[in-house]
Amino acid sequence: MKAARRVPLLKKMLAQLGIEEERVRLDWVSASEADRFASIVNEMTEQIKQLGPFNRNGGGNDG
Amino acid sequence: MAKPQVALYWAASCGGCDVAVLDTNEKILDIANIADIVFWPIALDFKYHHVEAMKDGAIDLCLFNGAVRSSEQEKIAKLLRAKSKVMVAFGACACFGGIPALANFTNRAGIFERAYIEAESNDNPDSTYPQTLVKVPEGELELPELYDTVLTLAQVVDVEYYVPGCPPPVDIILKTIDLFATGRLPPPGSVIASDKTLCDECDRIKGEKKITRIYRPHEITPDPERCLLEQGIICCGPVTRGGCGLRCIKANMPCRGCFGPPPGVTDQGAKLVSAIASIYQGESEEDIARMVEEIVDPAGTFYRFGLADSMLKRKRMQPPEGRA
Repeated sequence: MKAARRVPLLKKMLAQLGIEEERVRLDWVSASEADRFASIVNEMTEQIKQLGPFNRNGGGNDG
Repeated sequence: MAKPQVALYWAASCGGCDVAVLDTNEKILDIANIADIVFWPIALDFKYHHVEAMKDGAIDLCLFNGAVRSSEQEKIAKLLRAKSKVMVAFGACACFGGIPALANFTNRAGIFERAYIEAESNDNPDSTYPQTLVKVPEGELELPELYDTVLTLAQVVDVEYYVPGCPPPVDIILKTIDLFATGRLPPPGSVIASDKTLCDECDRIKGEKKITRIYRPHEITPDPERCLLEQGIICCGPVTRGGCGLRCIKANMPCRGCFGPPPGVTDQGAKLVSAIASIYQGESEEDIARMVEEIVDPAGTFYRFGLADSMLKRKRMQPPEGRA
């Protein structure tokens, strides 16, 4: 349950820091849901590929 | 034997660190007895060219306060580094970026826009911004270049010791001077403060950490005896190094994190997200949404002093906006 509270708070903070929401995802999968697990991982991978590599400063310099 | 040579400098800071050195009161005379202060812009009339004329390593101890956010500050940081045997990041800004590093939520263009155009008190019809070089009839005028990103001292030069705090408390300043004067400085890289968290040193009554509402400091008069976190006030004590003498806590105010992360913690803000979300009670979506809403400014609260030193270091600006 702690994770269910941590992740939304983390997402709010990451948004303030200019990180795309799509880079963080929390989902719940049972050990018996292999297909669901695989499809979520594939979805996430596809989404990150579309976003491209994470560039720390995204254009800011000197740092 | 010649007295050790000591230099003090201020970069992006408020001057409070220099005042803290003076707050040592009569002990300042002891410092002057054991050392020659060869450079201290706030108090003594030495110029940059005096430092430039020194031999490399001529300064035994340099107490450098303030973050680095301009070409002048970077130049002097590198100059003092070359001239100093021991470089100390003195105060929260030099150690972690401090309050000036909150500028890392924007960049130079954003800062100039706010300060010189938008600010309500401005009268700037020609939209004039500061220029690094301006030609006037008498010649060229130069200003240092402001950087997009506020940096910690250690991001610019090698640093031997860290003395945290906003400002460093007098007892830690005197301890640093004493360790230096008696040749008992710890291994390079050490932080001269406590190795415990502020919570470990706090003497408030602690019970079970369970909260159902977050209060901002102005919304509540806290019980002066009980743990502030348990009263729903965001206190950075669990993720902040101790040694400060509980200055804020004794004034019934929560810890803001100016001593930086304790040993073993790399990212103070991420750690506090974890801690606060853990003790908040409620499992429904509404409860969680309420908690997220009650924490109005998580990044600004959790990285109040540490943004430049955090894992992300700054807000990620979308190109090409960040290219100034």
